[in-house]
Amino acid sequence: MAATLTNPLRIGLRQERVIPPQCLIIFGASGDLTHRKLIPALFELFLQRRLPSEFAVLGCARRPWSDEVFRQTMAQRLQPIIAPNPQAWEFFSQGLFYEPVDLQQPGHLERLGQRLEQVDRLRATRGARTFYLSVSPAFYGSGARALAGAGLLADPQRSRLVIEKPFGTDYASAQQLNRVVKSSAQENQIFRIDHYLCKETVQNIMVLRFANSIFEPLWNRNHISSVQITAAETVGVEQRASYYEQSGALKDMVQNHLTQMLALTTMEPPGRFEPEPIRNEKAKVLQAARLANPEQPWTCCVRGQYGSGGTAERPLVSYRNEPGVNPNSTTETYVAVKLLIDNWRWQGVPFYLRTGKHMAKRLSEVALTFRDAPVHLFDAATGGVSSNNQFVIRIQPDEGATFRFEVKAPGSGMRSRPIAMDFSYLDSFGEPSDEGYVRLLADAMLGDPTLFTRSDEVEAAWRLYTPILEGLKQSPEKFPVHSYEAGTWGPAESDELLSRDGLLWRRP
Amino acid sequence: MVPQLTLQAPLKLPPSAVPSHLQQLWADSDDGYNGAATFTLVVWEPAWLEQHLARLGLLEEAVMGMQRPCLVDAARRAISTYGLPSSTAPLSHTLAQALVTQPGGESQSFDDLRGQAIESSISELQPHRMITLAPTIAAEQPIDALVAAYCPLPEDSHGGGSVCGDVLVLRGGAAAIAGELDLLPQLIPSHLPCWVLWEGALGEHLDIFERLTVPPQRLIVDTALGHTTPSMGILAQRIAAGQAVYDLNWYRLGAWRESLAMTFDAQDRRESLNHVSQVDIDLEGDQLCQGLLLGAWIASRLQWSLQGGHRHGDTSFYSFQRPDGVKVDMNLVSVPVGLPKAHAGSIMGLRLLCKPPNRRGLSVVLCGEASGCMRLEGGDISSRDLVEAIVPLVEGSLEVQETRVLAGGHDTTNPLLATAAHLADKMLAATVSSKAP
Repeated sequence: MAATLTNPLRIGLRQERVIPPQCLIIFGASGDLTHRKLIPALFELFLQRRLPSEFAVLGCARRPWSDEVFRQTMAQRLQPIIAPNPQAWEFFSQGLFYEPVDLQQPGHLERLGQRLEQVDRLRATRGARTFYLSVSPAFYGSGARALAGAGLLADPQRSRLVIEKPFGTDYASAQQLNRVVKSSAQENQIFRIDHYLCKETVQNIMVLRFANSIFEPLWNRNHISSVQITAAETVGVEQRASYYEQSGALKDMVQNHLTQMLALTTMEPPGRFEPEPIRNEKAKVLQAARLANPEQPWTCCVRGQYGSGGTAERPLVSYRNEPGVNPNSTTETYVAVKLLIDNWRWQGVPFYLRTGKHMAKRLSEVALTFRDAPVHLFDAATGGVSSNNQFVIRIQPDEGATFRFEVKAPGSGMRSRPIAMDFSYLDSFGEPSDEGYVRLLADAMLGDPTLFTRSDEVEAAWRLYTPILEGLKQSPEKFPVHSYEAGTWGPAESDELLSRDGLLWRRP
Repeated sequence: MVPQLTLQAPLKLPPSAVPSHLQQLWADSDDGYNGAATFTLVVWEPAWLEQHLARLGLLEEAVMGMQRPCLVDAARRAISTYGLPSSTAPLSHTLAQALVTQPGGESQSFDDLRGQAIESSISELQPHRMITLAPTIAAEQPIDALVAAYCPLPEDSHGGGSVCGDVLVLRGGAAAIAGELDLLPQLIPSHLPCWVLWEGALGEHLDIFERLTVPPQRLIVDTALGHTTPSMGILAQRIAAGQAVYDLNWYRLGAWRESLAMTFDAQDRRESLNHVSQVDIDLEGDQLCQGLLLGAWIASRLQWSLQGGHRHGDTSFYSFQRPDGVKVDMNLVSVPVGLPKAHAGSIMGLRLLCKPPNRRGLSVVLCGEASGCMRLEGGDISSRDLVEAIVPLVEGSLEVQETRVLAGGHDTTNPLLATAAHLADKMLAATVSSKAP
């Protein structure tokens, strides 16, 4: 039986939350993200009947395109997606419009306002608007200010602003951007994207913890000895060198995605499953988190950069030899940090976060290791003492969870060995999960901010890593970039970060 | 969610004066506001049952045309007071029809707030205009046209951006209402979507139904409110004609569809779906619409073709052919129950028997929260793997379901409903045209 066989009874049932009538305005509509992610996600929502008939997309960019050119451009670029559903595309594309707009030109915004009213009338979109800033991060603040200045964000119930990542480049710039954005719109209108939060298994962390009574009593310092959060990629920097050179692994992955996973793993149960109580708890735990040694951040942070590697058939070039990368670059492509959380639940439990490019395996996971059994009555089948229990939440690939515990090894002796009790999304559910942007766009248009980061969360996340970022500026020599062979699990120095605590990185 | 009344006492006008009055209503607004650019909602709201219960003194509250708990309680009292079979569903057409002939209360007057009491969740959607057609049980009653403005309650509008709309109620005998239907095209803006919510039984007042529900109007009906044959026939016919139709009875089936799909989500069970040999559906009473829609949904999803059907006693028998040519039996059994759910024909239980080759058979039994599983647990199921689940009773009020539709609607019918309604109508026709062997 093929593992991908879809449950025929499942098809078409996912219509639980239909998006209310509205117009989605995409700034940067001529850019890659629009045809690679946004329009495909909207078309998928259309195919799932989760978009209402009263819906429109208004693409905006500087290029002097017409509605028809925008439709044709999207049709050409999305051909493989459209081909199986040409009639559906025909209906969907009737709701695509385009307006040439430069956000810095007041006259353009006035024209945009008039065009929006026209689209409202044409598509009966009830005056509800979601503005999506898919532009360079440098224009997030000025874009928000321009929209507010034109009165387009004045209605807090019917206008929203979606902002792509990265939100700031450090604590100070994130604060500054928050000030600008919050002077343009109310917090409940602002949707700051973190793509990791739209992954089914990231959301499942909350369900696992708060819908089951078996986990939560164990989910604390009394039972958990350490936690490892990993996001490993097998790809290198690819075509993102110019961005990556400025950003590096810490800003690109740790400050946002891994820190959000940390927040979901460690937050207290919210009083209600509603956006604000959830975001309150996430912000609280991030405010209680700190580097293991903020005074000497180099002792709890290891940076690495991939060197060459791979095989003779598939050689991998080093980071410094990638196109667009400075040959003397000290940008990290790998980073591991040790964090602690100063609250009642987690005091003393070390959290190890690591991410890297060109690593041995593509995976993201949260692994919670439980404390030793108080008394070792049995020897392990392999000799020595039995291993600790471990609960691993697999974010990707093979989404699911594994619980590892000891059982009696078959035979006449009383030796134990670990086995894995496994849950897999693929095996347990009758249809694949939505692509991330499908969920993110749907939630933004539904006005549900649960999966978007609030200003205080973003700032707390930046503040957490400020000692490292400051240290990198002031004493870069204390944060050397260790080379690691492409296709491995990172530099040896990273292993030392854990071995000092008597631990090992997981080799999943 | 609570009903709210209009902003002002409704103004009684001659029907011919309504269009100009509505045009004037917002004309003095400072910002030139001329109504929310949202949608129009036209409601045919006979509320026969509610009116008769009020007439007979069994319902003390005003008639509002809403499915409130006090209405269901009063209906249950009526069933007992007038000696009707205890298996009568409180909101069924049968009960309303039975009360017509009950004497008494002719002199009793009752408040009629139909169309003036607006469910807050609906007003929150800021309809441009709500037009309620409220036929009275006094067939000769002349027409009253009541006009008022409404606004969402401040707490519902979350403090920002609220716009108001207006409501029109045409109240009187059905014939008098029919005489004024030509007014409506002037009152329904052609550039906004318009939903027609038919809260009566399908098949009654067909002349009004035909005139009200002309495409592209989107139609919301409830096939649980009338008799099976006209309800299913009209549903299927309107969908086939290309109209966007929402059946609230189909939405009530949601928990059953989800529960059955969930059973076969597990990878190792999916294969069994190709080897279903028998389906049994138990439903309350003899209103078959829900059972037919559920059976038709299963059959259409699994690509079975209908071979024939007949009805014998309380059971409708259908035979289908699977894509591999094997015959599948489907039985819809009407079960009388002592305390039926509010709507007629609610599903009580569902059983699927699967015979996968070279594997132990599988029996899937889903039972309603309130109805138990014993009947479907009988027969030869001990030789099979048994999967049982309880399907939660998630009826929700009519208004909650309507709000869901209005909040994000489509101008086409859900393809699952379209396919199921077409097949369900064919199944019904097969039992009507054939005799029991």
